[in-house]
Amino acid sequence: MNHRRLWPAVALVALAVAGCSSSGGGSNPKSTGAPGGSSVAGQPSSSGGGGAASGDLTVWVDAARLPAAKAYKAAHPNVHLNIVTFDGDGNGASTLQTKIQLWNRTGSGWPDVIFSEQVNDPVWMARKPFNFAAPIKGLVADDLLAKWPAPSTAQCTVDGTQVCVQDNLAQVVLWVNKKLMDQFGYTVPKTWQEWAALGQKAATEHPGYIVGTMGESFSHWIYLWGDQCPLQQADGSKVKINSTDSHCTRMANLVDPLIKNGTVPPLSVFTPDFAKKYGGTNDKVLLMPGPAWYGLGVFDSTLHLPAGQITAAPPLQWESEPVTTGQVGGGPWIVSRHSKNMKAAGDFVTWETTAFNAKGKDARPGYPAYGPLADEWLADQAKNPFFAADPGPALKAAAGQIWQGWSLVTYQDQPVWSNTVVTKLVQGSSLSSLLKPFGDALAQAAQAQGYQVSRN
Amino acid sequence: MSALSLSGARSRATHVRGPRRVRGAMFVVPYLPLLLLFGLIPMGYALKLAFTNDKGDWVGFHNFTKTFNDYRFMPAFKHILVYTTVWLAGLMIFVVGLTLVLHSRASRVSSTYRFLFYMPGALAGASSVLLWLFMLDPAVSPGEFLLKHLLGSDLFVKSIAPAHLPYIFAMIAFWTGAGGWIVVMYGALNTIPTELEEAARIDGAGPLTIALRLKLPLIRKWIAYMVILSFATGTQLFVEPQLVNQASLGMVPDTWSSNQLAYQVAFRFGDFNGAAAISVDLLVIGLVAAVLVVTRSGLFRRDE
Repeated sequence: MNHRRLWPAVALVALAVAGCSSSGGGSNPKSTGAPGGSSVAGQPSSSGGGGAASGDLTVWVDAARLPAAKAYKAAHPNVHLNIVTFDGDGNGASTLQTKIQLWNRTGSGWPDVIFSEQVNDPVWMARKPFNFAAPIKGLVADDLLAKWPAPSTAQCTVDGTQVCVQDNLAQVVLWVNKKLMDQFGYTVPKTWQEWAALGQKAATEHPGYIVGTMGESFSHWIYLWGDQCPLQQADGSKVKINSTDSHCTRMANLVDPLIKNGTVPPLSVFTPDFAKKYGGTNDKVLLMPGPAWYGLGVFDSTLHLPAGQITAAPPLQWESEPVTTGQVGGGPWIVSRHSKNMKAAGDFVTWETTAFNAKGKDARPGYPAYGPLADEWLADQAKNPFFAADPGPALKAAAGQIWQGWSLVTYQDQPVWSNTVVTKLVQGSSLSSLLKPFGDALAQAAQAQGYQVSRN
Repeated sequence: MSALSLSGARSRATHVRGPRRVRGAMFVVPYLPLLLLFGLIPMGYALKLAFTNDKGDWVGFHNFTKTFNDYRFMPAFKHILVYTTVWLAGLMIFVVGLTLVLHSRASRVSSTYRFLFYMPGALAGASSVLLWLFMLDPAVSPGEFLLKHLLGSDLFVKSIAPAHLPYIFAMIAFWTGAGGWIVVMYGALNTIPTELEEAARIDGAGPLTIALRLKLPLIRKWIAYMVILSFATGTQLFVEPQLVNQASLGMVPDTWSSNQLAYQVAFRFGDFNGAAAISVDLLVIGLVAAVLVVTRSGLFRRDE
């Protein structure tokens, strides 16, 4: 009995030698069945060059991108598409890093295309020791590439080479429950100060309703990134992490009373607890700063809030300072440099980002990064009966307001936030008291990845 | 004459020993290739990796000092220390206690209980953890009342607060593993001759005295065996924290246990030598503990 945990050496070597995707005894729950062998090179298309893509193609996508991948499959019968779903590296998981290490070690098994929920994944994918991402130029036509917004292209450019295209933009806006706001006679806040005052007011007048959450693995991207907190300013192999800068502390001081009075609970919208307390017909979300994909991805399909209540307002600004906002996600598509069917891989990525645009309730949850598609998508959202009013103008304006002082780095900061800050908030600590330990933990994570860290 | 009889006796002796050895070997041989392939060779490979760098050059203890100084190393080993202590103590007290109670009861009742105790163990590793994730979530758990009053948690994130984790993992491991051990211990108790028990009873020993003074010393070796195997299992905790890491959306670090750290070092940071060093640390800890238990309990002593 008790063979569940093998000797670590056994597990290590069995993995390394056999190169199998799941470790012995099912010790890696993340594996969702990697392709058994490497995908064989696509059969040369019978037409011989030119024409549509064909052959075998293996793609790894998260659950949210599965309908899009299936749509490609249906539209391209010549391509033998093998779709593998995985956790998408969500919440800063290390799934892809461990998988790519394994594939690199065995010299086979790489998928042709990967979608990651982690906007920083291409940064390490393009570098040693992973060396996974292929340059995107030539795979997606130049005239199309030019239609991604410049900041998006910049996020996909690593050491001067573009290695991905973003699926969606994930600018943070203020999501508003218009029906509740009207019912309570509140006006939509424009500044963080107004928002905090409203939180205090709601706590006394309508206890139980919330104006945000602090329990996500990415809450710091919403509240601290948006307020220009210098937590992640990389320059080559140097990174500046100053978690006690006034841009961080002033936001923490503003939010702390709201965490305390329950209007900004340290709870994730993706937990059953949250859905039970605030979701569905309970309908207790009054306001929530959150990314573009919250509209359909969270309020509609996760929390199942009633239709005709939610809409988007422009991101909050700090007093009279210029508006800057945060970003949560903006997942990229990455093509493997090991792909034996580059043509189909390029065709797949092009189609997913520039052609696929289902309407109505099948619409993509995220704001398309590819410009021409974004306009179509916004027009469709305006007609979506889920929204109380057209969220388009606020989303469109915020797309250009993401603060550019937050660099993408090779380490995942989400788990650090989750296990140094959120776990303590749950136990009643204040955010202000956790900023310093958070910075320390980030610095450790950065150093472990080889960064030189400066703390002020 | 005497020489003749001597050689005759010897040949008889070898005649007897020969088949016995062959018979013994037959039991061992099928396991040998597996032991070699999945036990000894990987262990040797890990040792080699632990003392070399990625180019294969000898680096002495560099990998050990490097991983030891990693900021995740001490917390991971501390977690494992607390977890293993809690779990082993729980396992020894409750498994032995429950078995002794069971064994002193009427056989029909005890077989029912034996089955009941074994039941949770029928859920294999990962699935039992998933079950426990639901049990620990006050929103869906049937034990909501207990969670609220024992752990003070009205939310899943509170149930899995860092300070609770070693105890929670110990509880999960206990429920999935204890039943199997109770069956093993019960079997061990059955090997005690009934005459011994009767003799003790005639001498005036009550059920408690019989359990503690007679039965317990006689199954000491089985307890030692359980401790050795469980110690190794405990220090190599992986599945539980890994799944909770996923379920908590990253609130529990993915390097919570030392085995997870080795996994991350190898497959995330690509440092197989460092990972091998951590594995060797675990191997040494397991071996030392085993040697201690074996020598202290006289596990292999044959005093017939």
